Amino acid sequence: MKQELTDLELIQNVLTGNTGMYALLVKRHQRFVFTLALRFAKNREDAEEIAQDCFVKAYKALGSFKQTAKFSTWLYTITYTTAMTFLRKKRLDTSSISDEETFLQLENHTSAFNANVYEQQNSHAFLNLAINELLPDDAAIITLFYKGEQSLEEIGEALNMEPNTIKVKLHRARQRLKEKLQYLLKDEVKELL
Amino acid sequence: MNTIEQQLWDYIDGNLSETQRKSIEAKIESDISVRLQYEELQNLNIAFGEMELDEPSMSFTRNVMEDVALQPAPISLKTRVDNRIIYSISGFFVLSILGILSYILYNTTFSMPDFSKYFAVNLNVDKILTPTSLYIFLGVDLVLGLIFMDYILRKKLGDKD
Repeated sequence: MKQELTDLELIQNVLTGNTGMYALLVKRHQRFVFTLALRFAKNREDAEEIAQDCFVKAYKALGSFKQTAKFSTWLYTITYTTAMTFLRKKRLDTSSISDEETFLQLENHTSAFNANVYEQQNSHAFLNLAINELLPDDAAIITLFYKGEQSLEEIGEALNMEPNTIKVKLHRARQRLKEKLQYLLKDEVKELL
Repeated sequence: MNTIEQQLWDYIDGNLSETQRKSIEAKIESDISVRLQYEELQNLNIAFGEMELDEPSMSFTRNVMEDVALQPAPISLKTRVDNRIIYSISGFFVLSILGILSYILYNTTFSMPDFSKYFAVNLNVDKILTPTSLYIFLGVDLVLGLIFMDYILRKKLGDKD
């Protein structure tokens, strides 16, 4: 059975002129980069634009990638800065949303909840819905920790924060996510857990 | 902030020392409310780990590759240099500069005691310090300076990107 090339091997191939290999890197990481972008942009069109921009930036800077670090951590750093630049351009103030405001936003959102969502009874859908209600930084940290296979140090590197700050933020994010799940699912939360 | 919930999360994440781990395990064993809280957090942890990633549109890779095709092919900007080599070279030059300075100071006519009486070192530095060797020394310094400047500029450009 042919062994899959590692990220570093693919990068070396691209750097030696086999640029088509970059498609394999894109395919390997696109779901995660897109999900991470979605945590900030909150809509698919913008997230896809951010993710696409991120892969083009990574391609252009591939020669300067220090091959001592994980490619994924480097890519997530680019995703984070690209998403922040994008949000700044769109003049969305993502950091000033208070807990109270998000709670109100959640209430409005759930009031528009239709029967179909309830009928789905899909724990993943509820989980994604609850994550979307988190602040972008919290949602990104949760996603990086659980799906990006990143350590606290690596998340800190990607988001330009100290690992201890990440630890505290991760704890708060999990608490908020738990509260939002309890609010969304009420009694059904036991089924999810 | 070191609540029992925080400790439980740290326990689940494996971030505790041996002593802390044993202490929290004892609490889980002895206190039913802590045990229930632990089970709840553990289940949440599993649920978070099972969250699904979103899928971009089917044409995503193709779109990226079309954009990428318009860019010049990336090339490795530098070969990795062992830091020890850089430190050795800089050490050599620092010592050389110090040597030259000492020689100059030694040859200036200060009203100092005549050291030659005490230290009969017969080292003819004039033969070593020819104008050519000085030019070579300064030339290498200049090249190193340019390499360092190039490194700083590249780093700045990288940060901007």
